[in-house]
Amino acid sequence: MNGIKILLITGVAFIAVYFFLRLRNSLFDIILLLLLIAAAVVFILFPGITNQLAAWLGVGRGADLVFYLSILIFWFVILKLYARIRKLEQIITTIVRKEALDQANKPR
Amino acid sequence: MLPQNSNNIFIIVPVYNEMKEVLEQTIIELLKMPYRIVIVDDASAGGIFLPKDTNIYLLRHAVNLGQGATLQSGIEFALGKGAEYLVTFDADGQHAATDIPAMLAPLQNNEADITLASRFLKPGHHNASWSKKILLKTGRWINYFFTGLYLSDAHNGLRALTRQAAEKVALKENRMAHATEILFAIKKSNLKYREIPATVTYTEYSKSKGQSVFNSIRIFFDLILHKLFE
Repeated sequence: MNGIKILLITGVAFIAVYFFLRLRNSLFDIILLLLLIAAAVVFILFPGITNQLAAWLGVGRGADLVFYLSILIFWFVILKLYARIRKLEQIITTIVRKEALDQANKPR
Repeated sequence: MLPQNSNNIFIIVPVYNEMKEVLEQTIIELLKMPYRIVIVDDASAGGIFLPKDTNIYLLRHAVNLGQGATLQSGIEFALGKGAEYLVTFDADGQHAATDIPAMLAPLQNNEADITLASRFLKPGHHNASWSKKILLKTGRWINYFFTGLYLSDAHNGLRALTRQAAEKVALKENRMAHATEILFAIKKSNLKYREIPATVTYTEYSKSKGQSVFNSIRIFFDLILHKLFE
């Protein structure tokens, strides 16, 4: 096992512990997380698999395939986060507006 | 023109970190007209001071939300007070209070549900710089692209709405994209609108508070998100 593998697996382990501490209430989340961790560890230990997958999909290298997929996933995550932020903004607006209307002073 | 019962005409002035003298001057000009005034302070630093007058209401946001949210708060407040006509009016001194009767006339005569002020309908009604003109022309095209309405003035803060129109224009865009959102509402609810020539006076002050190119990009982005998530 070489240095990069130890580094990546340590990173995955830390992320896994962190998520397990936060998401322990839902069975679906735990199964999904276990699958993702298992996939990550397998790909780190046997990078040859990503190369085979890449060749099968018509991409040059396994690392490139991971890179392309990451971009897609990040776009998705950014959009979800924006939607979440807008929703939060709407909630804050509702609360602040209600307070402003309640506190509006009478004509002096 | 119909006899004016000015008690049900509300002028909504969104305020955020306005210079004391400028805000005072705006309010003094408005007080010369026989309307109710709703000042909505969008959490200005240090708060704001108002002259004592029975025709002025003050609302205050606890945190800064943006001009769209500020207008909407004022609109909801005025509707709650039984407003029949609502006018939005910028606090930075760029509008003339004397333009308001002309904005209201088509509403009072049942010729329109909403009037939008335009500085470009008649020559000499503005002193915009060429960069500002280009920005507003671009805004016009962006508005057309999103709403199908081609107006002569893209982002003019002076507008007048009937009660029915104001109820339909429920602004969800907290920041500056609300100007286009009003056009969405016009389109969606089939509101009769009219552009009214009105004066816009740019001072060094109002320019410093106005829209920069960067802000315009932000507006564009907000509009795309609005379309994506609504």
